[in-house]
Amino acid sequence: MEDYKTYLAENVLSEDKVVTYRLLSRALRVHPNVAKQMLYDFYKSQNTKKPGSVFATYLLYGIKKSVQHQNGNAMDIDLPSSLPDADPVDNDDVPSYTLALIQEDRLADVLKDYETIASIHVYSVGPHPAKDLTLLVDAAQSALAIKDDAKKPRPRTIVNSHVRRRERKGVGLKVAAAAVPVKQEPKTKAAPTKTAPAKPTPAPALAAPKPKEESKSATPATEPEAPAAATKKNAPPLKRNASAASGIMQAFSKAASLPKKAKPSEKSTPATEDTPVLSDDGEDDDDVPLPRPGAASQRKSRKQREEELRRMMEEDEDEEMEEEADSPAPEEEEEEPVVEEPPVKAEAAKEEEKEIVTTSGDGRRRGKRRVMKKKQIMDDQGYLVTIQEPAWESFSEDEAPPASKPKPKVASSAPPAAAGKAKKPAPKGQGNIMSFFSKK
Amino acid sequence: MVTLDEVLGSGLLQKPSGDDAPEALQRQITNYKPLQTFKLEKTRPYQQQYADIYFLRLTKIRPAVEAAASAAWEGTMLGGEKVKRVERVLDVRQGELCWVAGTVYMDMPLKPSILEDVSKDRWISAPTSVGHYYSGNGDDSIMLEDDSGRIRLVGNALQNHFMVTGCIVAVMGTENANGEFEVIDLLFAELPPQPERWSVSKGKKGQEQQEDVEMMDASFSGNPSKPPSKKIALVSGLEFSNADTSYAMELNLLLEYLLGEALDPSIQHNEISHITRLIIAGNSISTTTAEHAKPAPAYDTTTPVNKFQPQHKKYGYDSSSYNPVPSQLFDNFLSELLPTMPVTLLPGALDPANASYPQQPIHSAMFPQSRTYMSAPKVGADKDAVDEEPGWFDNVTNPWEGEIEGWRVLGTGGQNLDDVFKYVESEDRLGMMEAMCRWRCVAPTAPDTLWAYPFQEDEPFVIKECPHLFFVGCQPEFGTKVIHGSDGQAVRLIAVPSFSETREVVLVDTETLDVERVRIVAE
Repeated sequence: MEDYKTYLAENVLSEDKVVTYRLLSRALRVHPNVAKQMLYDFYKSQNTKKPGSVFATYLLYGIKKSVQHQNGNAMDIDLPSSLPDADPVDNDDVPSYTLALIQEDRLADVLKDYETIASIHVYSVGPHPAKDLTLLVDAAQSALAIKDDAKKPRPRTIVNSHVRRRERKGVGLKVAAAAVPVKQEPKTKAAPTKTAPAKPTPAPALAAPKPKEESKSATPATEPEAPAAATKKNAPPLKRNASAASGIMQAFSKAASLPKKAKPSEKSTPATEDTPVLSDDGEDDDDVPLPRPGAASQRKSRKQREEELRRMMEEDEDEEMEEEADSPAPEEEEEEPVVEEPPVKAEAAKEEEKEIVTTSGDGRRRGKRRVMKKKQIMDDQGYLVTIQEPAWESFSEDEAPPASKPKPKVASSAPPAAAGKAKKPAPKGQGNIMSFFSKK
Repeated sequence: MVTLDEVLGSGLLQKPSGDDAPEALQRQITNYKPLQTFKLEKTRPYQQQYADIYFLRLTKIRPAVEAAASAAWEGTMLGGEKVKRVERVLDVRQGELCWVAGTVYMDMPLKPSILEDVSKDRWISAPTSVGHYYSGNGDDSIMLEDDSGRIRLVGNALQNHFMVTGCIVAVMGTENANGEFEVIDLLFAELPPQPERWSVSKGKKGQEQQEDVEMMDASFSGNPSKPPSKKIALVSGLEFSNADTSYAMELNLLLEYLLGEALDPSIQHNEISHITRLIIAGNSISTTTAEHAKPAPAYDTTTPVNKFQPQHKKYGYDSSSYNPVPSQLFDNFLSELLPTMPVTLLPGALDPANASYPQQPIHSAMFPQSRTYMSAPKVGADKDAVDEEPGWFDNVTNPWEGEIEGWRVLGTGGQNLDDVFKYVESEDRLGMMEAMCRWRCVAPTAPDTLWAYPFQEDEPFVIKECPHLFFVGCQPEFGTKVIHGSDGQAVRLIAVPSFSETREVVLVDTETLDVERVRIVAE
C-alpha cells in the first residue's frame, strides 16, 4: 500500500512530472477513488515536510450560485419572444452543475462562489503550480496509454455488464485471412527476386493467415473489400503461370528472363507485372495469347493459330494491344530480335494488316496483306451501319521507300516502320506484344 | 457559500484507509430502439428532380392544416362576409374572403438561388457563407404556392410567425388590387399525434423492465429508498482538433466524468452510474487545421475563383492535406467510453459524412478502435434484414429518430435549425424548434437552402408522430422548454450547445424528461 509514495516521489519529485489520479490509478492498478486519496496524502505529507514542494489541482463538482442566476436571467430575456403557451418556468428549473478543475491557490476563492459542493478531490499533484493545462492534458494522455493487461485488470469505477462487442461471424474469418496479404506486401515484393519474377509468392501469403485466424481477436478488423482486392490481385498471375507455362516453359522463362534483364529494379519488376494483370483481370485473361517461347518450328504453327484467334477478335484486341504495348510482359523479350511486324497503334490504324510475303529479296518484298476495310451500308431499317471486314490487298515494296526510312503513314510503309521500331526496344529489354504475331 | 475548512479532511481529502478497493458500480441501462426513418438506400439514384419533395410534403401535411383551418374558420363571418374555402391557390378571387392552404416560399435576395447559379454558369455550388438570408429592408417577400400557382402574401399577421420556405400553412384573407393576398389569420398543422410511451418496443417492455428492476435491486441493496432515475447524456460539437487544444482538458474531464472516474463515491453511485447513454449530436471532429484556423476557403462563395487556383492541388488523394489526428482522438475518446456506456452518434456539418440531409451514418472505417462495438456490417442475403439489436456504439443518421426508455426521441445535428435561423430575424432558437414541430417538418428548408437528397417515394422530414423529446445539436447556447399540443401532446425541446463553445453537457432524465446541465471548467 505504501508503494504509491515511492511512485509519486519518483515521478513528481525526481522526474518533475504531473501525476493525475487516473495515471496513478492505472499505473498502480488501484481504484481511482483510492488513487485520489493517495494523491491527497502525498500532497499533505510532502507539504508538511517542506511547504511549497508540491502543488495540487482540485476537481470540484457542485452548484454555483452566480452562474445559476445569470443563466436564469438570460433565459428569461429570451423567452418572451417565443410562442405564448411555452412553460415559462422551464429554464429556471434547469439545475446547472459545474465540474471545475481548480488550482490550489484559487481553491478558497472559487469555493465561495458555490452554493453546494457535491464532491471535491485532488485531481493531480505536480512539482510546479499547474499554470499550463497542456501538462495535465499530457498526463491524461499518458494515463490512456497505459493499457489494460489481462492479468491485472485496472479497477473501474463503473462497469456495464450489458456491453456488447461485435462478434466475428463468417465475415470476420475472411477479413482476418485477407488482412494478412496486405501486411505482407513488402515481403512479397522482395521475394520474387529469388524465384521467377512472375511469381508473387503465393504460398506464404496463403499460408500465413492460418495462425492469424486462430488469434482472431488480435487482428484488428479490416475492411473486407480492400484485402479482397489484394488477394485478387495476387491470384491471377499465379493462375496464369500455373496453367499456361508448363514445367519446361517455366524453366525457360526463368532462365531466359533472369540473365536478360540486366538489372531491373527488384521492386518495380513485380509491380509492372502486376499492373497488366490487374487491368486484364476478369475480362480477357483467356484472350491474351500467351507468348510461349519455344522451338522455331513450334512457333510457326502456333502463330498461325494465334492469327486465327486474332482475326476473330480484331476489335477487342486493338484496345488490348495498346495496353499491352505500354507495359509489355517480360517473357516476350527473347523474340524481339527477329520480329518485324508493325506495332499497329489502334488509334492510327483503322486498318490493320497482316501480310503474306511472296517474294522477299534485296530489300523488296511483294505479297498480299490483310487489311481491315470499313464499309458503310444501309441496313434494312434504313440505318447506316459501318462494318469492318477483312480484305486482302496486294502490295509491293516498290511503292515504298527503302526500309531504313520509317514513314508515319502506316498503311503504305508498315514493314519498314516495324523494322525500325522493333529494333529499338530490343536492347532495352522491352518487347512489343505485336511483334509476337509477326512472321519471320 | 462553501468554505475551505468545511471540505478539508472529508471524503476523498483524507488518507487512504487501506481498505480493499471498493466494488465497481454497475451502470444502469435504458431500453433503446433506433428507428430507420432517415436511412437511405446504399445504391440511391440522384437523377430525379426535387419537386417531388414539395409535392409529397404538401400532400402529407395539407390534410392536417386544412382540418385545423376548417375547425377554426368554418362559418366565420368577417365584415358581413362568410369565409369560403378555396381548393387551390389559383382559385383565389380578388376581393373574396377565403382561406387556402399551400407551401410557403420565401423570395429573398440574399438567399442562394439555383436559378441564379445556373444563369451565371456557376456549376460548382459551395455552401453559402451568408449568415442571414433575412435582409430586413423589405426586399423579402413571402409566397404561398401549391401545384397550381403562387401568390404573394402580405399583411401584419405574418409578422407574428416564423416563416421559412417549405412549411405548410393555411392563410385566411382576401386578394387585394395588387394581386397580393392580404393575410388576416394564419394556421399551421400543429403538433402531430403523439404515440404512447413504449409504443415501439411494447413487446419488450415487460421483459426489459423486469430486468431493470432486478438490476436496481442489485445495485441499491444498500439503499432501499426510491432510486434516482436514469439519465441520458446529450452532447454536441466536441470538435476534436489537433489545432485548437484550448478545450482538450475539458474533453478529458468530460470523459472522466462520464466514465465515473472523477468525483467521489456517492456521486458516482447516485448520478454517474445512472447516465445510461451518451448521444453525440454532431460535429465531433473539427476540420480546421493549424494553417488556416478560419473556415476553409472553399466555403467562400463570394470569390468562387479562389477554388480553382489552390497552390498545390494534387489530383486524387493527397495524403498531406488529410489530417487523421482529430478522428483518432475521437476514436480514442469513444473506445475509452464504450466499455461502460453505449453511444449514439449523429453526424453533423463538420463530420465526415455526406453533406446533404439526411446525413447517413459516419463510416465505421473512421473508428478503427471503437467499431468493434458497432453492429456487424450486413452482407449478402441479410443485407435487408432489419437489425434486431442495435449496435452498442450506434452510428446513426442525422436527423435521427428512435425510442429511448419508451420515449420517442427526434434529434438532429443542428443544420436544420441553423438554416431556419437564417430566414428569420429572431434569435429564439427554441421558438424555431417549436415551430418545426408545429409545422410537422423537421427540415422545412430542405431542399431549398438545406441540401437534401431528392426524395421520390417518401418525404421523411415530415414529422408523422410527435416526439416526446426533440433535441438539436451544435447550438450556440443551451436552451430547453416544454411545449404542449391541443391533444395533450407534450414535447421537451432541447437546444444542445456546442461543447467546444460552452463546455456543457445536458442530462435528460428518462422518467420525467427533466433536464440538467453540467458545465465543465478547467482553469
